[in-house]
Amino acid sequence: MSGEITNYVFEAMPHFEGYVYPNEATPQPLWSILIVLYPYITGLVAGAFIMASLVRVFNVRALEPVYRLSMLTAFAFLLCAPLPLLFHLGHPERCLEVMMTPHLTSPMAIFGFVYAWYLMAVLLLELWFDYRRDFVEWSNRTSGLKTVLYRLFTVGVTDVSEPSVKLDHKLGHILSIVGIPSAFLLHGYVGFIFGSVKANPWWGNVLMPIIFIMSAMVSGIALCVFNYMVLNWVRRKTIDMKCLDVMCMFLFYALVMDAAIEGLDWIHRVYSAEEGFQVMQYMAREKLFYTLNVGQATLGTVVPLLLLGLLQLLRKRVPELARRRMYFSSAVLVICGVLAMRWNVVIGGQLFSKSLRGVMSYKMEFAGLEGWFMGAVLLALPFILLIVMIKLFLSEQLPTSASLEARDVAAK
Amino acid sequence: MSRNVSRRNLLAKIGAALAGVLVAPVARTAKAAVQKVFVSTGAAKGYDPTKHRWVMAIDANRCIGCGLCAEACKKENHVPEGPYFRTWVERYIITKPAPGSGAARGETLVDCPSGGMHGYPEPAVPKEEIQHSFFVPKLCNLCEHSPCVQVCPVGATFDAPDGAVLIDPKYCIGCGFCIQACPYGCRFLSPITKTAEKCTLCYHRITRGLKPACVEVCPTQARVFGDLKNPAPEDPIRQFYENNKVQALKPHLGTEPRVFYAGIDKEVR
Amino acid sequence: MRPKFKIPPQVLRILLLAIGIVTSYSIARYFLTPTTFRQYGWYRGEALSELQAREPMFAGKKACEECHSDEMAKLLKHEHKSLSCEGCHGPGQAHSDNPDVKIDQLNYGPCVRCHEANPSRPKWLKQIVIKNHYTGSKCTECHVPHAPTEVP
Repeated sequence: MSGEITNYVFEAMPHFEGYVYPNEATPQPLWSILIVLYPYITGLVAGAFIMASLVRVFNVRALEPVYRLSMLTAFAFLLCAPLPLLFHLGHPERCLEVMMTPHLTSPMAIFGFVYAWYLMAVLLLELWFDYRRDFVEWSNRTSGLKTVLYRLFTVGVTDVSEPSVKLDHKLGHILSIVGIPSAFLLHGYVGFIFGSVKANPWWGNVLMPIIFIMSAMVSGIALCVFNYMVLNWVRRKTIDMKCLDVMCMFLFYALVMDAAIEGLDWIHRVYSAEEGFQVMQYMAREKLFYTLNVGQATLGTVVPLLLLGLLQLLRKRVPELARRRMYFSSAVLVICGVLAMRWNVVIGGQLFSKSLRGVMSYKMEFAGLEGWFMGAVLLALPFILLIVMIKLFLSEQLPTSASLEARDVAAK
Repeated sequence: MSRNVSRRNLLAKIGAALAGVLVAPVARTAKAAVQKVFVSTGAAKGYDPTKHRWVMAIDANRCIGCGLCAEACKKENHVPEGPYFRTWVERYIITKPAPGSGAARGETLVDCPSGGMHGYPEPAVPKEEIQHSFFVPKLCNLCEHSPCVQVCPVGATFDAPDGAVLIDPKYCIGCGFCIQACPYGCRFLSPITKTAEKCTLCYHRITRGLKPACVEVCPTQARVFGDLKNPAPEDPIRQFYENNKVQALKPHLGTEPRVFYAGIDKEVR
Repeated sequence: MRPKFKIPPQVLRILLLAIGIVTSYSIARYFLTPTTFRQYGWYRGEALSELQAREPMFAGKKACEECHSDEMAKLLKHEHKSLSCEGCHGPGQAHSDNPDVKIDQLNYGPCVRCHEANPSRPKWLKQIVIKNHYTGSKCTECHVPHAPTEVP
């Protein structure tokens, strides 16, 4: 260990340096890949929802083509969000206790309620109001199992008269407005779970919920860009460049804010250099070098910032194909960068002893509940769900901003 | 018309009362049946937790690093093999500063092989280079404002009325949040029960009038244990408070530990 | 007559669903909250008695004295009076319940565990460097553990 940390290697234990409390000397950190995925997936939900709200609440018409895709993305990921949390529990069969006797001083206790609220009161309802007319229509048009399915989704309400649909739209709008604070709550509280741990200087930080919300927005928008481009590629449709430009503009500004807040966090840490700073510095330099400096900061933030920033300035002059490629690579980099950020927070916070005198190492296994394979499965699951949903609920021809403008003009 | 309404009201009221009378006992029996399946019922009575206030104190000046306490704790509480400890003993070695460095002290070296439960071998640092060296027994700090209790999402860990901080092994969901929240590293997730575990002050012993196992076997009375609500004559814990200037671990976190330490150094955390 | 206000069907359906969900939650909560929850606080009061129920392994010095009062009297006269029997002899509840269950025989382990020289031990403790002190096999050849100041 570096000389600055006044410590010494006593025992020939390969994966510890310095002194760690005896209970911390476990081969794996207590919270591993599953808890990395949990805030990552919830973040994607919150971000994708914010993306959809840009259309509904802020009336960004150019983004209308991706409204339904973003909502379905949010929905598919939300359905998978509690799985990693559930699997990591020592006693998953007791999980309902968190709903039955929620201990209200614990940030984790509100998970059940926030989740239920967000799933049922916000996402499901907004989707339902948006889709109700289509469900009725589709249930009449299709046959067989699909009819039964669509009819089930109407929940027996078949009124699709003009005023009724108008009401749907209005209610959807209200829900969307309610949804934004809910999305912030959903993800802010995840940040608070870490930010409230005063025992851990890596986590215990007032900025943590804000950092989580900002990075959630960034990752969610990037995911929508990714999904939109991949979907159009799979369907061999042309991409609506106007929509893509606007999406990536929002991605850029969200990324600017995210980078600013995270930068502020680090400046504050370095400047105040409180107890435990030395061990954190060592972690950033050694243990987390690749995921923090390379993955999160450089590839996940600086490179996409440069790429997207460049395109904000030179949008007109860059040919479409190059622009699409730059957008796509930025989106992928951001998605991976935020995953690295979650890793750095969750795993990083457990790689040093709370005695602040030593560090642990962590090598992820391939098999097992906390291994690579399980992580990949859990990360693939929402995409599989999304594919099913797209098959069921997303029309073959997404509306384009040109067609929407034409409709607006006609309406006037 | 109005008579009609009032009659209907009356009927509704009677109906509701009847329903209440009929439903309540049914619900109660049903609940009892459900509870029987989910939670088995209790054990010995006769101990009133509101009439005691247990506390431990550590006199580090008296600790000789034999590690009997850590060993006894493992045996008494069937603590799993491996890096799982409800109590342990740390060794601190502060070396002399390098000549001419102008420093007051050298490095602080800490170790704790197997939680100290097999005693301590001679340190790797030669005796002449040691400025200062001592042992520090560690256990649950019995915080007044326990962060572990604060973060438990289901109410499975709690401050018992008698001062012990306990875990309900039948209710813990094993989320590990309390382990993350404890600043002193006193909790672990048992690989056997898959629930969090920690020092209970040997709850099954103290409620029978015995001392905690670590206190029982300590040859030098470095661990002092007592009941603040029922002080014995010449109570060791009273004497400890009267004879020592004490300090607590990590006081800046505001957890207000009730376990006081005498004779420790600023490097202890 | 004013036109009668009718709740729109989709709103009605949702209200009914919401009521259904809240009701089933309340019922579930009624049945699944343990009876002794909140007896003392936000936890199962019963947990206290359950935690008390476990059997101890270490019987305590008093239990030893019941049969071995002679040894205890000897011990109390000397430096080792503060030692617990079970510190050296190991957990004794099983032996205390049934004297036929033997307690482990001791070797010199317990002596050096405390008395081997170690710069971290406090100065008031008597310490020896074993290789300079004695090369035989047993401490008890010269010392009586229950009366350490006596020489046999």
